[in-house]
Amino acid sequence: MRKYKKRVGQSKAGRETGNGTGQVHADMDAVLCPPSPCRLNFPATRDTLTYEQAQKMVEIELEGRLHRINIYDQLSVVTEDEMLAQDLTDCNSNKENSVQSRARQRNKQAVSKSRKKDAKHAAKCRRSGSQCSSQSHVCLTHHIQSPLPKPTFRKVEKFKPSPAPPLPVAYYRYMEKSGEELDNEAEYDMDEEDMAWLEIVNQKRVSDGHASVPPDTFELLIDRLERESILESRSQALSQSTIDEDAYCCVCLDDECLNSNVILFCDICNLAVHQECYGVPYIPEGQWLCRCCLQSPSRPVDCVLCPNRGGAFKQTSDGNWAHVICAIWIPEVCFANTVFLEPVEGVKNIPPARWKLTCYLCKQKGRGASIQCHKANCYRAFHVTCAQRAGLYMKIDPVRETGTNGTTFTVKKTAFCENHSPPGTGGEGDEDNGLVGGRGSRGQRSYTLSPPLQQNQNGRKKGSATQQKKTQKKAAGGSRKTGVPLLLVPQIPSFRLNKICTGVSVERKNQFMQRLHNYWLLKRHSRNGVPLIRRLHSHIQAQKSEQREPDAKLQAVREELKYWQKLRQDLEKARLLIELIRKRERLKREQFKLQQAALELQLTPALVFLRSTLEKLQEKDTDHIFISPVNLKEVPDYLEFVTEPMDFSKMHDRLEAHKYISVADLESDFNLMISNCLRYNSNDTVFHKTAMQLREVGGAILRHARHQALSIGLDPSTGTHLPDKHTTNGSTVSWLDEVDLLLDPENRVHMSPEDQLKNLLDKLDLVASMRTSGGRTKRMRLLRREINSLRHKISHQGRNRRLLNGKMKEEKREKRVDKMDFITSHADPKKSTSRKAQEPSCPASSPLPGDAPPNPPLFTLETGRTTTPGQSNKSGGRRQKGKTKENSQSEDHDGFVEKEEENFHSKKHDTVASSVQEEAFNMVSSPKMGVGRRTSVLFKKAKNGARLTKEKSVLLQNGVSKVENGISPREHTPKTKLQSAKSTSPSLHQLRSRGPSTCSDSEGEKSHSLPEENGLTNGLKRQNGNSSDSEGCIPTFPTHSSPPTKRSRGKPAMSKVPVGAVNGVSRSRAVSQNNDEMDPLTLVWAKCRGYPSYPAMIVDAKMPREGILHNGIPIPVPPKDVLNLGRRRQEVTNEKLFLVLFFDTKRTWQWLPLDKLHHMGVDDTVDRLRLMEGKKPNVRKSVHKAYDRAMTHLSYVKENSTFNPSNFI
Amino acid sequence: MATAIYLEHYLDSIENLPCELQRNFTLMRELDNRAEEKKGEIDKLAEEYISNVRNLAPEQRVEHLQKIQNGFSKCKEYSDDKVQLAMQTYEMVDKHIRRLDADLARFENELKEKLEVSGYESPENRAMKKVGGRGNLKEKRGPKGRGRKCSDDDSPKKKKIKNGPEFSESILPVHPSDVLDMPVDPNEPTYCLCHQVSYGEMIGCDNPDCPIEWFHFACVDLTTKPKGKWFCPRCTQDRKKK
Repeated sequence: MRKYKKRVGQSKAGRETGNGTGQVHADMDAVLCPPSPCRLNFPATRDTLTYEQAQKMVEIELEGRLHRINIYDQLSVVTEDEMLAQDLTDCNSNKENSVQSRARQRNKQAVSKSRKKDAKHAAKCRRSGSQCSSQSHVCLTHHIQSPLPKPTFRKVEKFKPSPAPPLPVAYYRYMEKSGEELDNEAEYDMDEEDMAWLEIVNQKRVSDGHASVPPDTFELLIDRLERESILESRSQALSQSTIDEDAYCCVCLDDECLNSNVILFCDICNLAVHQECYGVPYIPEGQWLCRCCLQSPSRPVDCVLCPNRGGAFKQTSDGNWAHVICAIWIPEVCFANTVFLEPVEGVKNIPPARWKLTCYLCKQKGRGASIQCHKANCYRAFHVTCAQRAGLYMKIDPVRETGTNGTTFTVKKTAFCENHSPPGTGGEGDEDNGLVGGRGSRGQRSYTLSPPLQQNQNGRKKGSATQQKKTQKKAAGGSRKTGVPLLLVPQIPSFRLNKICTGVSVERKNQFMQRLHNYWLLKRHSRNGVPLIRRLHSHIQAQKSEQREPDAKLQAVREELKYWQKLRQDLEKARLLIELIRKRERLKREQFKLQQAALELQLTPALVFLRSTLEKLQEKDTDHIFISPVNLKEVPDYLEFVTEPMDFSKMHDRLEAHKYISVADLESDFNLMISNCLRYNSNDTVFHKTAMQLREVGGAILRHARHQALSIGLDPSTGTHLPDKHTTNGSTVSWLDEVDLLLDPENRVHMSPEDQLKNLLDKLDLVASMRTSGGRTKRMRLLRREINSLRHKISHQGRNRRLLNGKMKEEKREKRVDKMDFITSHADPKKSTSRKAQEPSCPASSPLPGDAPPNPPLFTLETGRTTTPGQSNKSGGRRQKGKTKENSQSEDHDGFVEKEEENFHSKKHDTVASSVQEEAFNMVSSPKMGVGRRTSVLFKKAKNGARLTKEKSVLLQNGVSKVENGISPREHTPKTKLQSAKSTSPSLHQLRSRGPSTCSDSEGEKSHSLPEENGLTNGLKRQNGNSSDSEGCIPTFPTHSSPPTKRSRGKPAMSKVPVGAVNGVSRSRAVSQNNDEMDPLTLVWAKCRGYPSYPAMIVDAKMPREGILHNGIPIPVPPKDVLNLGRRRQEVTNEKLFLVLFFDTKRTWQWLPLDKLHHMGVDDTVDRLRLMEGKKPNVRKSVHKAYDRAMTHLSYVKENSTFNPSNFI
Repeated sequence: MATAIYLEHYLDSIENLPCELQRNFTLMRELDNRAEEKKGEIDKLAEEYISNVRNLAPEQRVEHLQKIQNGFSKCKEYSDDKVQLAMQTYEMVDKHIRRLDADLARFENELKEKLEVSGYESPENRAMKKVGGRGNLKEKRGPKGRGRKCSDDDSPKKKKIKNGPEFSESILPVHPSDVLDMPVDPNEPTYCLCHQVSYGEMIGCDNPDCPIEWFHFACVDLTTKPKGKWFCPRCTQDRKKK
């Protein structure tokens, strides 16, 4: 139940992350059923996983095996120390049986090998998964009656939402308030003065019995007053319209504005001056007022040096005012402080003559001091400001004078009258030169003539020109504007006041408002009319320009655009919504599909399971031979041989019709199909081969399926799950126990060898199918070793018996079996280790004594297979079983077997001798029939057969049991074989070179492998040859040349490791095997000093210089210097060195002794181990690459050989 | 109000939209109810099957399972219809939006021209700019990408790039992160491997059953629209397996 619940949580969590809460109900249905057993327990195929499932798996490749760990599996963290300890115990004993250690082990691998990220992820998901599980469980109960989901909820009493954690900065954005928003709130902040005032007012109000006014209200009202005043001033203020756009300094008439020399504006009179021109080195905080606004705010000032008003003034040292520009230009006048440009000094130094000059521009005599045209002989005089107004040429040039006191910088001021202005500058419109030209208009605007001063009254009276009157008028107007800054604080009419305070509830409103208004007015006055809210003031310009033309049309357009944009936004929202709906519906649809699959799994798990098994079987039928029924039109005689046709499509039909209730049913049909095929097709056809191959592969699949079915707990009568199934964990442990128990030979004494073998094979399968754990690989290895030794034993029995029986037919049969097994075993070199387990058992197939039916070998085989459905599908196992009968017969020969065993323990020469003896023995007895049959059956073997006859003759000549003689005929076989296999020069070469020698070192090595060679390639009819050597000798066989390598790869791959590494019996053989047999063109792992084992190929140093083709693949020719080096080294070390060609990118050559070479492609596990040998990742990578290259090479070589059998003839 | 005639037409055309939406949603609701009913039936059948399976002959089992199967196929039909409806509805709204976008663009252009001609350049242009600018900002996420994109959902032939022609030009240079900084409607659907809202150029996976459907160019290492069919990394993986 726990598991069930967890599942619910899982799939829920998986979805929910993406989709929020809307799908709760929907997901529940999908999840009602328990998980599919196939998918969880079947690690081999990834395609069966959906995307969602795959998301929940962590894949780890360990020791060449893919492991999947569900991310919801609990993984505990294991420290490195624990790991180490674990490893140690692992090495010391095979029997860690406690659950804890097992679990920990698994975790260790997961945690250490999977990336940390995965682990983290898993943890996270687990958390969310568990959360969801409780939640979803609640929903589950509700779902069934109600068609629509009803949310369940309860109030958590003491729940306080914790403050949300601060979000990343990206989530915050400063949004400036728009004008409208600002308009709605009070911007004004009270100062102390305001507080004091309000307090006084409130005191009075309280004493009068009225409520006091809160400060907020005060602020709001002030704010409103400000706004009103600004609106008011806007409607009035016309003179200040030009400020921002093209402000220019009224001293230099330049509008240039540098950062260090900005144009300042007086906050009251809006006078614009450069910092430098007016002597303001630092821009003050807050408001800035020009001197005249600051010191004589209410009275307009007059310049003592000219008759004009307006512009930038500074005070003179005697308390009068003067224009800055006048002070600059009149030579006698200067500034006391040249930084602040004040006060103006030297007015008294002006000679009377200057005072008396008459400005030719304003024609006013005796007012102010004038300057004269700098043109020689021109005496026209003019006021500085008048000249500016008129736009005369006035230029200030910096001049560097180098005098006795060093270099001094002075300025040279030049001003010309209208007539003498430099050409091109005199006219208006030329702005490029000096202060004149277009700037004249600026000057004009800057100044107004001041009304004639009192002391100059006479002059005024005298002046009778109408122009003067005009000036007067103008001046009067100007004084009104500029002279009285009070105007800037507009009175607010009472009706507006009322409007302002409508939103405010204050007792005795009118009285208060009146007071407040007065207070505000006073405050503005005290600040020289500067607005109390700066923002409004600074935005006057922008707003003014915007508001100045309150274009009704524009307003309308704006409104309209806003409307459309709102519409657009609404539509966008609708679209978003619908997009979400669409997504939801898609998910719902997806969920229905899931639900369907889930329900199917719930109702007919057996069906689903069998279906997947069948599909897997069908996948293996790559050529689609069995996919549809045999076409009886094409082969009309089919039914004569086959009574009950069977094919995959028919099996599918039967499956869907619920005809199969267990794996055994499926298996029986599968076997029927195979046996039909085998029966009808002779064994040299491609169909036959495929069938054999399929039988092997399918057997493994079915066996696996049976195990799974057992662990899932399927009820055969209903095809549904059994109510309670044992937990996987417990079973794992118990299995492990059993395995360990079985591994101890003592515990098996009571069983017959066949039973033992069967048991062991079962256990091996079991262990192989188990999830990864530390002890697994080791157990597998031990199991394999045991299996091999058992087989060894059994085969001995068989051989002995046969030796005694000496029956020809039986031997023939064996030979056939050998052949078939060849085909099957080499057909699938890439099979997983679990499958390899069954292969070595092939030679020991079922000889049924006595009867020899017309089609003896095939028929017996088939019956053997078809009659044992429901049992272990393993061919070896089954055959063994079939053989038990005989074995009981041959039990009495056990003593003999033991003796044979001892033989193996003895030196290799002995074994060789014995096997040779046997061989010879068989040869004598078997020849005619075997040869004849073979030639008739297999084309390619025919040649071997022919050779064989020759051999036989040799054998016969040599006598029966001489060791040396035994070697030489065997010598022959590989040669013939090589020849037949390649028919290329090297083999011939070898043949020639090796033929004559008998006992030389190298030849001796080779000779060892020969017995099996004979047995295998020639189909030499002795079962004994095969079976007795199946462990010890067969492993050596692949090394002779590459074609045999690939052909029998599966077999030796299996037996090599156990034999070489563990099996005491065959260790001597393993050693011997190592000592010999490194044939040219063999792929090996070559170990150079300082490097990990590296894939390489042995190359015959004596190969022809023109190069050779190995099955159509050109083999590189070793360079001369390499050969020479090898020769020298061999002389020095005095041992045989092999020339190897590495599969690295450069294809380097090396001479290595035999013990540095190990076979490659023989055992996947070994290969993998070697691949992992490198310590650095880049080294490992290069080894991997080289390995791939080697494999490609191998596959090329192999392909050619398998597809062009004609090559062999 | 000097509303352009085509905008008036647009208003007319959009008048029916709410009704149609309502109708479609009601239909979907009905279908959903029916599907739920079916599901109830299926559940009943399944229970029945489990309780009786022991006594049923293979043929009866097959028959019973067939019934359940039929129920599921009906459910699937309903689901397909619902998806179809949702897609239709989406198309409808999307069509309206595109039309509105086009009309609005036209409207604004005309307005601008008019203003230029009448010579009220400075102030009104400024106002226009202000309005237009704000509008653009608001619409930024709308028409871009998503707008075009989903319109051709499930019609893989024309998909590829879905970028609003009217606004895309101005939005293209927008860097993803800028867009991500924008406040995101929590209900906005998310796309892509990154589970973000749509922005910039998006590409649609050509696998009609793709769980994600739309991807940001940057997230799938694209800068330009690829030629021919394009499959997202996940679908590519799945396809390889098959």
